[in-house]
Amino acid sequence: MIRRLLIANRGEIARRILRACRELGIETVAVYSDADAAAPHVSEADRAIRIGPPPARESYLNIDAILGAATASQCDAVHPGYGFLSERAAFARAVETAGLTFVGPPASALEAMGSKVGARKLMTNAGVPVVPGETPADQSDGSMTAAAQKVGFPLLIKPAAGGGGIGMKAVHDESGLAGALAAARREAKASFGNDTLYIERLIEKPRHVEIQVFADNYGNTVHVFERECSAQRRHQKVIEESPCAALSASVRGRMGAAAVAAAQAVGYRNAGTCEFLLEGDGDSARFYFLEMNTRLQVEHPVTEAVVGIDLVHAQLRVASGEKLPFSQDSLTQRGHAIECRIYAEDPAQGFLPQAGPLLLYREPQGPGIRVDSGVKKGSEVSVHYDPMLAKLIVHASTREEARRRAITALRDFAILGIRTNIPFLLEILDHQKFVDASIDTEFLDREGAAIASSIPQEMPNAAALVIEAIRKNPALRQNDALGTGGTPGTPADPFESLGSWRG
Amino acid sequence: MDKHSVHALGDGWFLVEDDERRVRVAVASNADGTWVFMDGQVARLDSGTQGPAASRRRSRGPQDVMSPMPATVVAINAIPGQAVTEGETIIVLEAMKMELPIKAPRSGVVKAVHCAKGDLVQPGVNLLELD
Repeated sequence: MIRRLLIANRGEIARRILRACRELGIETVAVYSDADAAAPHVSEADRAIRIGPPPARESYLNIDAILGAATASQCDAVHPGYGFLSERAAFARAVETAGLTFVGPPASALEAMGSKVGARKLMTNAGVPVVPGETPADQSDGSMTAAAQKVGFPLLIKPAAGGGGIGMKAVHDESGLAGALAAARREAKASFGNDTLYIERLIEKPRHVEIQVFADNYGNTVHVFERECSAQRRHQKVIEESPCAALSASVRGRMGAAAVAAAQAVGYRNAGTCEFLLEGDGDSARFYFLEMNTRLQVEHPVTEAVVGIDLVHAQLRVASGEKLPFSQDSLTQRGHAIECRIYAEDPAQGFLPQAGPLLLYREPQGPGIRVDSGVKKGSEVSVHYDPMLAKLIVHASTREEARRRAITALRDFAILGIRTNIPFLLEILDHQKFVDASIDTEFLDREGAAIASSIPQEMPNAAALVIEAIRKNPALRQNDALGTGGTPGTPADPFESLGSWRG
Repeated sequence: MDKHSVHALGDGWFLVEDDERRVRVAVASNADGTWVFMDGQVARLDSGTQGPAASRRRSRGPQDVMSPMPATVVAINAIPGQAVTEGETIIVLEAMKMELPIKAPRSGVVKAVHCAKGDLVQPGVNLLELD
């Protein structure tokens, strides 16, 4: 078993990995940038090493600094978490070259899945269905137009080396093609240094359904069922759940088999996720391979809740050379789980990222409620990293019970000092489309602004009464979360006016 | 809630009750204002204090271009003396992996640029002045 592990990440996922290590008796080494010196993941680790200034490229993306920390602290393994260096083949290779264990797939699998074009070819050969599309060797406008006509409209133009929706263009008829090609080339060149494009059919109103897979070094590859992540805004997932209401048992079985075939085709090891688009529902639904995420996913707790396994434990065991701790036959889905991502962003201001101190922070608790977070009361949310503060994961016996549990928990999730998307999450969970489990991947891009505008704008009466009571009796203010609400009774009293409230 | 009472529960929490119901409310404040939480909803009251944040806000005029949040300057598309039109992106900021285009609030001539590419800027700080 791994003896001492360096966690090359921050925030909630660093704490998640840290807890799993502690449970397995593995010592932990955290790394941090100057912006995170006081972060919970740093104080909770057995050791912590500074790796650089706040910008990620000088700290969490700095391979030399991270490997230096791993060597100096005599670690025998590195867990990359998600984001940052987790899917960089160069990092996995550097870790292996330094004689350490990389908790993840081999560098060769990262490379094979890292190129969308290459992965597509591999998947087609492995019999995994992909969205009909073309990558013309000749990338001239004429050749691209011919390819577009072959694929058919509506279609999507995507950078071959891309990800995260950057440079992706939807084209509904031939008149929009030339402009979209030029824009996609520009963005692909700027973001990825490579302007090769591919064209694929646009699947309208699809669902995003992904299959968790797991492989060990002994030839065992299993799938751990699906997660539906159709609730996404600008390709950023907001709510994930499992099971997917649109999946019949037979389609689920075929998707699982396709995901296993995909993993085997690239010699995959450890945890990974195959993303699919699902068109339609029931037994007639069709699915298409999108890409493989070669790492632990943000939304992995949804699977853990429904299947009753610990994916990080399994990652550490498999990386240590053990066999998979479960077999395909031993895995079943039980009940329903929903994850809500809590982002530091203001839905009322176009989801503008928020930064500032958490004056008050209280997570909900109760049966079937799990919160994975990277912050605590007093934390300073900085502008340097992803705005996700925490994930709320609820589990219940039915989807409707899970939905109600999520609503109740979010209403009890108190964060003051910066704005969060919690009011937005509450509106989605209450939306008829979510209740009916009928949302598609474009739903939040189409209706997100309207949903955000339905967030209550008036200060609740009871909240106004508390402010009024504090104004009348300043002694009450000592119960304020920080006890620092200004000097009572001065003309500059923040409780003087209720004029500038915004809910 | 006409006839009501407010009790402090500690740690920033208050219980408001009347004959019909009870509601729990959390309150926290700092120099910038007071925040209130109830049932998943949050409201904020800006402070009217003389603190630096407030005075910065008050000094804001139509000639100024401000950052809405702490962010890094990634591009400046204007130099002093240049004419800009309303709505034109004159500065691009980046925060939390997201680009924030800062647009000219009105047409005019750039009088001064108070930031440089790579600067970390705070909200309310003047980035650029228009004549």
